[in-house]
Amino acid sequence: MKLSSKEQAGVVILEPKGKIMGGPDASLLHDKLHECIDSSQNQIIIDLAQVDWMNSTGLGILISSYTTLRNNGGHLKLANVTDKIKSLLTITKLVSVFEAFDSVDEAVASFK
Amino acid sequence: MNSELFTSLAYCLIGGFLIFLAITVTRDNLSNKLNRVTGGMFLCAGLGPIFVAMGTIMSGGSAASGNLEGSVLYGLHHLWEMFYPSLLLFSWIFPVDRLRKFRYQRLRYLIFIPQIMQVALLVFFGQITGIFEALRLDPGAEGLVALILKPLSGLLEWLFYLISSLRNEHTAVFGAINLFYVGAAVYFLESGRKYLSNPRLLSQTRLVLWGTRLGLGLFVVAHLGTTVLPYQFPLAIKSTLMILALLVSTGIFIAATIRYQFLDVRLILRQSFVYTVTSGLLVGAYVLIVIESKQILIGLFGEQAEVISYAFIIVILLLFQPINNWIDEIIRSMFIRTRTDHRNILQRFSRQVISQFDPKKLRVIIDDSLRTSLLVEKVLFVQFDDEVQEYAILPDEDQPRRVVIDRNDLMLRGINLLDAPAYFDSLSDFMEGSSLGERLGERGIKMILPMKDADHMLGFVGLTNKIAGYRYSSEDINLLSVLSNQMVSALTNARLYVESLERIRLQEEVNMARQIQLGLLPSEPPTVSGASIYACSTPSRTVGGDFYDFLRVNEDRIGIVIADASGKGMPAALMIAQIQAIIRSEVNNGNRIETMLKNMNQQVVSASTSEKYVTLFYGELDTANGRFYYANAGHNYPVLARANGEIEFLKEGGVVIGALPSMEYRSASVQLASDDILFLFTDGLSEAMDQNDVEYSEERIHKFVCEHRHECPDDLVASILSDMKDHDPIDPPRDDTTIIALKMNCNLQELT
Repeated sequence: MKLSSKEQAGVVILEPKGKIMGGPDASLLHDKLHECIDSSQNQIIIDLAQVDWMNSTGLGILISSYTTLRNNGGHLKLANVTDKIKSLLTITKLVSVFEAFDSVDEAVASFK
Repeated sequence: MNSELFTSLAYCLIGGFLIFLAITVTRDNLSNKLNRVTGGMFLCAGLGPIFVAMGTIMSGGSAASGNLEGSVLYGLHHLWEMFYPSLLLFSWIFPVDRLRKFRYQRLRYLIFIPQIMQVALLVFFGQITGIFEALRLDPGAEGLVALILKPLSGLLEWLFYLISSLRNEHTAVFGAINLFYVGAAVYFLESGRKYLSNPRLLSQTRLVLWGTRLGLGLFVVAHLGTTVLPYQFPLAIKSTLMILALLVSTGIFIAATIRYQFLDVRLILRQSFVYTVTSGLLVGAYVLIVIESKQILIGLFGEQAEVISYAFIIVILLLFQPINNWIDEIIRSMFIRTRTDHRNILQRFSRQVISQFDPKKLRVIIDDSLRTSLLVEKVLFVQFDDEVQEYAILPDEDQPRRVVIDRNDLMLRGINLLDAPAYFDSLSDFMEGSSLGERLGERGIKMILPMKDADHMLGFVGLTNKIAGYRYSSEDINLLSVLSNQMVSALTNARLYVESLERIRLQEEVNMARQIQLGLLPSEPPTVSGASIYACSTPSRTVGGDFYDFLRVNEDRIGIVIADASGKGMPAALMIAQIQAIIRSEVNNGNRIETMLKNMNQQVVSASTSEKYVTLFYGELDTANGRFYYANAGHNYPVLARANGEIEFLKEGGVVIGALPSMEYRSASVQLASDDILFLFTDGLSEAMDQNDVEYSEERIHKFVCEHRHECPDDLVASILSDMKDHDPIDPPRDDTTIIALKMNCNLQELT
């Protein structure tokens, strides 16, 4: 997994690319999250447009990111969730926990 | 051969060899006081026999000292007795200079006075007598001289009497002094042994001590016996004893020097000795064969005899090398202890370390080898500690605790730059502010032996000076450099071995966990009236994250669990064990399904991190009426294939277990009828991938179950597993794969 980030209207958008599979991916995402939290940016969108696959550990990373942000008074939203990941979120019922949007713009607008 | 000639020849040989030894010992390390003193000692010891031999030869073979008494040569021959003060001096500075703090160093040479006095007395006795004669007054003398000398004459008379009696009894008086010296020397050598910890040096000293004692004993019997005891030895016995005393003590000193490299004297001695013996043998052979048999040769070959003798020379020259080697071999097997020879040190070291995998024992071997073979006084190890990821000075007798070195220490960096053994002094540029440098200095480290493999330094060995303050020779440094390479490979092997042991241990632990986990799974599906059940679970690694269980809730109800913990291996297995315990206690408490999952979620959340979660499906079949109550906590939807081919999914429930706190769960129920099939699985089945990364997929499962709904549960499981194998032949599967199939029997319908 590769991770890049940008900012749009005061919201941090993280753009992982490839497969989210755990191991080094977890620490990469966590470090980035903590970096944001430390600089008081706790409204974060993960843009999953370029994530083609995610295993159970990958999903675990998303959950813990969500928990970390919420514990720090922030919010994590997902954007551009592919069908594959959407079905994963549906089966695990996490779709009710994560707010998922079809585009980054919609997700950013939801923070207003 | 007459006995006097033989005696003097023996004296000459022994004396010669002692002087040769003196030169070798001194030349080997001229700058060292110990070598100089030992050289002086051997020189004096060698002078004695030579003087005696010269005297014997000059006096025409009659009794050795008898005829010579009074001559200058006889007086000079006592010079050899300087040996005794030299021995005493030697015992003071070996193995440690115990007088080094003494302020007036030169005063120690005063112990030579008695021996000098004796020689002076014997050589100049004639002149002394003359002076006293001149000073002796006529009883009737008058005048100024008489006036001055008169009061002194009594004193002079007394002095002269003293000198003459000393002269007459010099053997007894100075013999006693010598004896005292030897006694003192033996005492000092004995007491000096407590300064020694090096096993090789201990054995050297033991040998030297025995030599001194034996020589002393024989000497006392031979030399003092004649003067102190009333019984007079025959002269022949006396000389034999003297020769024996010299032979024994010299022999032992020679053995100590060659065999144990006493005073660090190298093997040059052996080489030159061997050359001398070989040359002597060959020249002797030439003389015997060519000169002695010349007459025969001339008789046999006439004019050709000259040519034959040249031929002999050539043959003998050709024989020089093989004979030299042969003698060398003999000397080597007789004298040279394997541990003093560099090549043998290496061979022995390699043999020892090759089979040693315990780093601690390995260090003991290295320490022992360096101390015994190179006479290093102390060895200090600095090694990279994998635990703290820093270099550390390992504990030893001087420093009971491990000392971690700061990774930015300047000295450490300096040592890191080294490729070969180097003197500590040469690293003075890195001393500034370095606590490592300070410590090494305090511990008297003189030599640094870096241990480097291809890309990094494993550590280094610090060596103090050699025993008795010797510096390292270039030969030593070469040896150290080869030894350090050996150490690196030995230490690396040891580390790899320990790591492989660790891996084996971990593997064993995993196997044990696997056994425990298998114990948690039901050994066979329960027999239920009205339904037949089949279950099967294949872990991807030795310990998997999948789990299933059957529970007897009450007389009518049977509980079914299928779960999949995120991740694999040990953490997943532990989580599963927790889940199983919770379910069992919840069922025992008789909680409703939704409460049960809520409680379970809460417990798992508080016990683990949020990235670890479990997808879980729990259902209860009421065998009395065929109703199936369930809740699905984020698990792959179980498939209910009705007898008529319709498909339903059991979705109702809530979020995965263990991810988020305070989650609510809902339960639902379905009515099962005869020949309905309930098919539960984990994502190991749905996500099995072929080589094109195409998943087996839920849709294919739904279709397969629908098509095979008429099969009994075990056949259905077997056929879907073989279908999955066709899709993804990898074995064991990439992910844990668990399947439960439940089929309602016909007789149930009659019940409802």
